[in-house]
Amino acid sequence: MTTIGTPVTAPPPPRWATLIRNNASILLIYGLILLVAGTAAIMAPNFRTPTNLVNILRQSIILGLIAIGQSMVIMTGGIDMSMAMVARIVALTVATLFLAGGSDPALIVPLVVVGLIVGAAFGLLNGLLITRTHASPFIITFGIASILRGVNLAISTTPIRGIPEEYLLVYDAKIGIVPINVLVMGLLWYLVWLFSTRARTGRALFAVGGSERVARLSAINVDRTLVIAYVFSAVCAALAGLFILSRTGVGDPGTAEGMDFQSVVAVALGGISMYGGKGSLIGTLGGVLLIAMLSNVFNLLQVDIYYQQLLLGLVVLIAVAAYKSPRSA
Amino acid sequence: MTEQTSLSTASSTVPPVLLSLNGIFKTFGGIHALSGVTFDLRAGEVHALVGENGAGKSTLIKVITGAYTPDAGVIEIGGERFAGLDPELARSLGVGAVYQEFNLLPELSVAENILLAKPPLGRFGLIDTAERARQAVQLLERLGAAGQIDPYQLVKNLTVGEQQIVEIAKALALRAHILIMDEPSAVLPSRDLDRLFAVIRTLRAEGHGIIYISHRLNEIFELADRVTVLKDGHTMATAQVAETNTPDLVKLMVGRSLTDLYPPHDAARGDVLLETRGLNVEDTVFDVSLKVHRGEVLGLAGLGGSGRTTVCRALVGLGRIRGGSVTYLDKPAPRSPAAAAHEGIVLIPEDRKAYGLILNQTMRFNLSLPNLDHLQHFGVLYPNEERDAVKQAITDIQIRPAAPEITAENLSGGNQQKIVVGKWLLTHPKLVIFDEPTRGIDVGAKAEIYMRIRELTRQGVGVIMASSELPELIGMSDRILVFHEGRIVGELSREQFSEEAIMQLATATKADGAGGTPSTAAPSA
Repeated sequence: MTTIGTPVTAPPPPRWATLIRNNASILLIYGLILLVAGTAAIMAPNFRTPTNLVNILRQSIILGLIAIGQSMVIMTGGIDMSMAMVARIVALTVATLFLAGGSDPALIVPLVVVGLIVGAAFGLLNGLLITRTHASPFIITFGIASILRGVNLAISTTPIRGIPEEYLLVYDAKIGIVPINVLVMGLLWYLVWLFSTRARTGRALFAVGGSERVARLSAINVDRTLVIAYVFSAVCAALAGLFILSRTGVGDPGTAEGMDFQSVVAVALGGISMYGGKGSLIGTLGGVLLIAMLSNVFNLLQVDIYYQQLLLGLVVLIAVAAYKSPRSA
Repeated sequence: MTEQTSLSTASSTVPPVLLSLNGIFKTFGGIHALSGVTFDLRAGEVHALVGENGAGKSTLIKVITGAYTPDAGVIEIGGERFAGLDPELARSLGVGAVYQEFNLLPELSVAENILLAKPPLGRFGLIDTAERARQAVQLLERLGAAGQIDPYQLVKNLTVGEQQIVEIAKALALRAHILIMDEPSAVLPSRDLDRLFAVIRTLRAEGHGIIYISHRLNEIFELADRVTVLKDGHTMATAQVAETNTPDLVKLMVGRSLTDLYPPHDAARGDVLLETRGLNVEDTVFDVSLKVHRGEVLGLAGLGGSGRTTVCRALVGLGRIRGGSVTYLDKPAPRSPAAAAHEGIVLIPEDRKAYGLILNQTMRFNLSLPNLDHLQHFGVLYPNEERDAVKQAITDIQIRPAAPEITAENLSGGNQQKIVVGKWLLTHPKLVIFDEPTRGIDVGAKAEIYMRIRELTRQGVGVIMASSELPELIGMSDRILVFHEGRIVGELSREQFSEEAIMQLATATKADGAGGTPSTAAPSA
């Protein structure tokens, strides 16, 4: 098969083999989901009712919003530890303004816009601090989170009432048994996936995560790309805050507690590299669904909250251990 | 194993064979990286391994170090036969390797690095630091470097040449007697070469077997006893170095004879593209004034750290300009790589792995990266347009295999360099700055890159080529500017070109080339 002077051309490996190898982490996470779903269907009869399955999807929305934003940031090799606090300040600010405006339903649209702007502003702050100081994103966003935690305590330590009835429809409105928000969320996953794979900026996110200096030398505007990523994650956090507000019906000072950590877990479960530059939003979706399903199943089976934590931790360790390739030379 | 003595019947006592490989096959996804390779190494010899990029050298090395298990074939080390090794086993059998990228921990001391794997232990199982330093000095002494390298110095403070010696000492600390050196000279400034050669000769005299990989054939004639040529995964020949010559080796390597590596100058010089006046960059480049015209190749020569690379980077807006001006097409030059690329100035950087490629991404991803502007409409990329552009680049610069979805890190150095060149040529630049365009790549790939450069100048593109390889500068340039300690110390026109003329200027000496500059960077005041 070699004639001197011409290069060796060998047949490419079969397409399916490459597909499996390239998507091992995604296959693994969805395999785990099927496994958990199968076990749950046997052990808890009320698991497989359509209402419960739809419920799982709705329960996955908050984590989903945070994890989508977190994915984009982790793709660049960074991390956003301020997402929960951004979600909280948006929820508390909007709730306070509703209360001040006498729960007027006409305020809904303007206040949603205000919430998104507040979120975007903190994302911009994160992004600018990170690109200007070149400090670690973990430290910067953690610092911002700490400041916001204080501000949130100053806004209120008790639930803020005064959310108009109509706003609760964001959480409750349904077509048949399917909540509209689940459909919107599905669309959002699809759009952000398209963005990450087909948009120029999405490509730039991967490039920056792969190597910042190579990206810079390849005519990619690295700073702009990073700022976009952090603004995007903060807007996602703001959406999560607005959604939580409609679910609880009050401005809850405990909004989104622990979501930063959970979102990182979901991203890691989905196989996105913590070093950036590698991974897919489809994996994150799997991670989010797995976490949402596990907590649903635990609740149906009335598993003690302590064991829930323990089991979730085990799942994370098993999944992450499975990703590690058996040998890396 | 003694049936191979036919190769060297001259000596009466044949040194023992340390390592022999027989009929080694290794396939990656249908591509034969090695098909039936045969190779052996004796005690007290330097056995050179040559071949184009992608010929299978790296794969063969990985089979010997145990990183890969061969699909078929027998590995014999010290009389024992193996179907495959693993890194632990290979190490315990005495295989050690020094790669181009050193595996040293920069923040640890020389002694800590050398004895990292097996530090001497004292009472209570704690590391005996004094003993460790003593052993490190002993190993450095064997390499004739004990006087120059302080065992307590941090590795990051050493020059590249010194770090390489630490790497070799580290291999010796693990009692390696089969030493693989993968292009050790590629990373060294030329004045450190003699020391490296002396070290290798010492090791040979001690009875070690050394597998020496290099693209520089003259080194092989200076250093090696035998040479094996690989091509497309086959062993083409193993010969006594004394009985062969460069043209024969090149013919075996590329399957054709390269009559002239450097295509003739065939472009007319046009008007000025870019001009710098009194340029000062960072604190390392001073008062640089130069002009590049359309259709010419301007060579930049100088020792490592002389400012060549800093100037190249400054022209695309990297590094802080402290004084002077850069004008491009009679306007102030753009001040960021993105803006520069937009206006047609591109830099093909040295060290493709660190600056040129996103290694964990595909060939397609890398090729389209600087071209996203042309491949998008309202921010959306169109896969068909991308595929077409990538296909065109692959054919234009002849990347093999033409598999756009292959990950960049799995390609040979030559193909990686072609991707870096190709991704920029797709942008249709007006001025291309090459920094070390052919470092560590084989003759075939070199010739193709030279042809690309000529093609560019024919189209009226201006080319700046910074290089430490003098033959390449002389073969390709229309003019050469020589740098010394951050300043231009001379300009040579084609009739003045010679390696001696360049070196005299670069070392700022008239006669003696030694003892001049002590360190690689820091210009003396």
